[in-house]
Amino acid sequence: MAIDDLITYFREDIFFEDFIADTKEEALDKLVEKFVDAGIIKNKELVAEMLHRRESIGSTGIGKGIAVPHGRTTAAPVLTIAFAKVNAGLDWDSLDGKPVHLIFVVIAPPFEESNLYLPVLGRLVEFLSKESNRNRLNDVTSFDEFRELLTE
Amino acid sequence: MKNQLDKLVALQDLDLMLQELKEVEALGFDVKSEGSDTLKNARSEMISKIPKPLLGNYERLRKRYKRAIVPIKDDKCLGCFMKLPTYLLTHMQRDEQVITCEGCGRILYWLM
Ligand SMILES: [Zn+2]
Repeated sequence: MAIDDLITYFREDIFFEDFIADTKEEALDKLVEKFVDAGIIKNKELVAEMLHRRESIGSTGIGKGIAVPHGRTTAAPVLTIAFAKVNAGLDWDSLDGKPVHLIFVVIAPPFEESNLYLPVLGRLVEFLSKESNRNRLNDVTSFDEFRELLTE
Repeated sequence: MKNQLDKLVALQDLDLMLQELKEVEALGFDVKSEGSDTLKNARSEMISKIPKPLLGNYERLRKRYKRAIVPIKDDKCLGCFMKLPTYLLTHMQRDEQVITCEGCGRILYWLM
């Protein structure tokens, strides 16, 4: 599997074009719950603990309205990315102080045969560094549109 | 209150985070200068709640293999791919106790 195929790590059942949360903590808990609902993980508590711990050592708000909470957990079977668009914006203690509108939750198993976690994380950050991509993500209203944007 | 296996899994997750801190930072993510110490302090607190023999086994396995705890998939240990005996699969209370693989000794974890 090529690293460029970012879309293969996303799923429609953990794609939210109008996600609502009041705080970063609430958003993380709610999104972990979505992973459970989608049958990807079983242990909500362990995965939430990992993501909150990650935030405690530095915000995953990378600026320009984007947050990429991430981590490996023994409780994850495969590398999976959830997408949530927060139209109202959400404070994420980002480096530039701006509210977050796009959240990508990257959850990876402790080891993978092809070890794609860090390359995929890097590829995602690179994709998000382009202003045109960010603008188009902000306008996305369906998973099909999202898929189109990531595969073109 | 977490069971003992959950505590070990949380410990392994924390160790994974510690191991890849530099790589994650290199990708452009913010990691506070005290981040590593924060994780090490969390680790100390975490291991104080794990019984000594269990912790000793985890540390031994971690030295020997890269990961001490591995998932079970298709009734196989994903560390050594040995098929697990039926009695282990049927009689063990899922997630309630710490079970090790008879083939490689790794601690086993049910994903679903
Ligand atoms: Zn084994």
